[in-house]
Amino acid sequence: MPLIIKKNSEPFFRDERKRNRDCCSLLEGLADPDPTTRRWAARDCIDCLGAAAALVGRLKVEQDISVREVIFTTLTRMGDPLAVAGLVAFLRSEDPALRNEAIEAMKQLPDEMAPILRNLLADADPDVRIFAVNILESLRHPQVEAWLLAVIDNDLHINVCSTAVDLLCEVGTEAALEPLARLKARFADEPYIQFATALALARIGQA
Amino acid sequence: MKRILIVDDAATVRLYHRNILESAGYTVEEAINGIEALEKSLLKPFDLYLVDVNMPKLDGYAFLQRLRGKDMSQAPAIMVSTEAAPHDQTAAYRAGANCYLVKPVRPEQLLVHVQILLGEICS
Amino acid sequence: MTEPTIKAEEFQKFREFFYRKTGIRYETSNRYFVDKRILERIVATKSGDFRSYFTLLRFQASGEELQQLTNRMTVNETYFLREEFQFQCLVNSLLPEIIIRKTDNTPIRIWSIPSSSGEEPYSIAMYLLERWPGINDWDVEIISSDIDTGILRKARIGRYSSRAVQYVPALWMRKYFKPVEDEYQICDDLREAVEFTQVNLAATADTRSYRDFDVIFCRNLLIYFDDLSRKAAAETFYDALKPGGYICLGHSESMSRISSLYQVRNFVEAILYQKPLEAR
Repeated sequence: MPLIIKKNSEPFFRDERKRNRDCCSLLEGLADPDPTTRRWAARDCIDCLGAAAALVGRLKVEQDISVREVIFTTLTRMGDPLAVAGLVAFLRSEDPALRNEAIEAMKQLPDEMAPILRNLLADADPDVRIFAVNILESLRHPQVEAWLLAVIDNDLHINVCSTAVDLLCEVGTEAALEPLARLKARFADEPYIQFATALALARIGQA
Repeated sequence: MKRILIVDDAATVRLYHRNILESAGYTVEEAINGIEALEKSLLKPFDLYLVDVNMPKLDGYAFLQRLRGKDMSQAPAIMVSTEAAPHDQTAAYRAGANCYLVKPVRPEQLLVHVQILLGEICS
Repeated sequence: MTEPTIKAEEFQKFREFFYRKTGIRYETSNRYFVDKRILERIVATKSGDFRSYFTLLRFQASGEELQQLTNRMTVNETYFLREEFQFQCLVNSLLPEIIIRKTDNTPIRIWSIPSSSGEEPYSIAMYLLERWPGINDWDVEIISSDIDTGILRKARIGRYSSRAVQYVPALWMRKYFKPVEDEYQICDDLREAVEFTQVNLAATADTRSYRDFDVIFCRNLLIYFDDLSRKAAAETFYDALKPGGYICLGHSESMSRISSLYQVRNFVEAILYQKPLEAR
């Protein structure tokens, strides 16, 4: 069986990263014509000063999904105020892929998102409010239910409320019973709200 | 029996649409995002797709582009979205949707569009 | 104190959550199986009832309990030729495609991670020798990695219980194993056919030199990672694969919970994921 080979003596692996690994070169590497170089730069620049701004800037022009995904991963790992502010700005993007990647990233940052969620949930643009509710979907934060209840009690937009009810089916407790009943009455002619509130009430009621 | 795939990340929305479609006699399967929808489409064909826009991993537009692009399926697709702006509709048709409905969708409204696209009634 | 129970609505809530997180979907007919494991974890975590347990599962910052539960819900046993259909897919579908694309004589490279105690990479080696005629014309490198140096030592030694080899055909047993006391020692030829290395998939310093793979087997590992770590792992694999290279995940895992970077491919034997051919 000589043809499965193992080359103990030879170097198995190659490190093909061309650029120097100092921060200046890494941040320049974000604009390299080769996507592999850009991905490695986006991964390796995590500890560089000014990296968050550079990564957010790159995202605005980056066309290659594979580079974008790595940038989002690095921004999530950083999670500093600059990175978070950059992510939040993408909620207003016209590109759904960019928007959804930003939402996924923010779901991973409960402590960093908590102070700004209230503002996002009160944004003038209902689409941004819906995306803010989307962030709560997997957010591991004790305030999630309270935020959702504020939404269903106060938001006038049916789709913002609909999105919130969907999550309350999972995280709702007795505290949600009355707000859900009020929402049900407020949108008495909307079949989806009737269905979703009934489901949420049943899930809480039996628990 | 016609088979419909619901592609939506919201569990309650999937269940709502499933109930409407099943009560009208359709066979329904669900996918949580575009990737899972592609996996299911590769295993068996569907007669119609009901597709949300905003989903993690692979959104509705990108899903339809991949579905149509690889010639995997030309089955009709209804895009359902919370966004009502004209440019959203244009983007949906460009991606390969045959119909665009704004959420929340009423049962009778959904069924009539499904029946039209499946050729069960005339538009 | 009354024994905790799980009510119908609670089961529904749990199954939606678990499906979203893992891609595994339980039907009402699976209730006995599911309830039993949740109840076990309710006791183990001293949660008292389903409600407190579900709050832990959903909100725990570390996500540890979800990992524990996933562990209990999936059979994570390692033995030779486990999920054999993927090895069939390798020899019947993947390698023929790889050969057609190849423009040089460099070896075909396969990465098996985690190596665990070696059952998977050795199974691949045996499968290639026994079921792939192309082995006479092509060199293949099998590299297998794990984070745990203790398990790597075991893998390199290659001695297995009768349980681990129970699905290996008798003919292959005679050819590749030697009984030693009540265990089975894998032959030196196979031991030399696999290169074992230590790798922490989460450390870029560890993974950056892993390049130019044609196929990666990463089965039943990412399902236990948190969302960000599994996404990062998929991105690492993207750089480790050649354009057109394939990833095999475990049968209960789906890329739909991990990343959109790969194309979904449906082969006769299995659904696999492919780095786009045009990718750079």
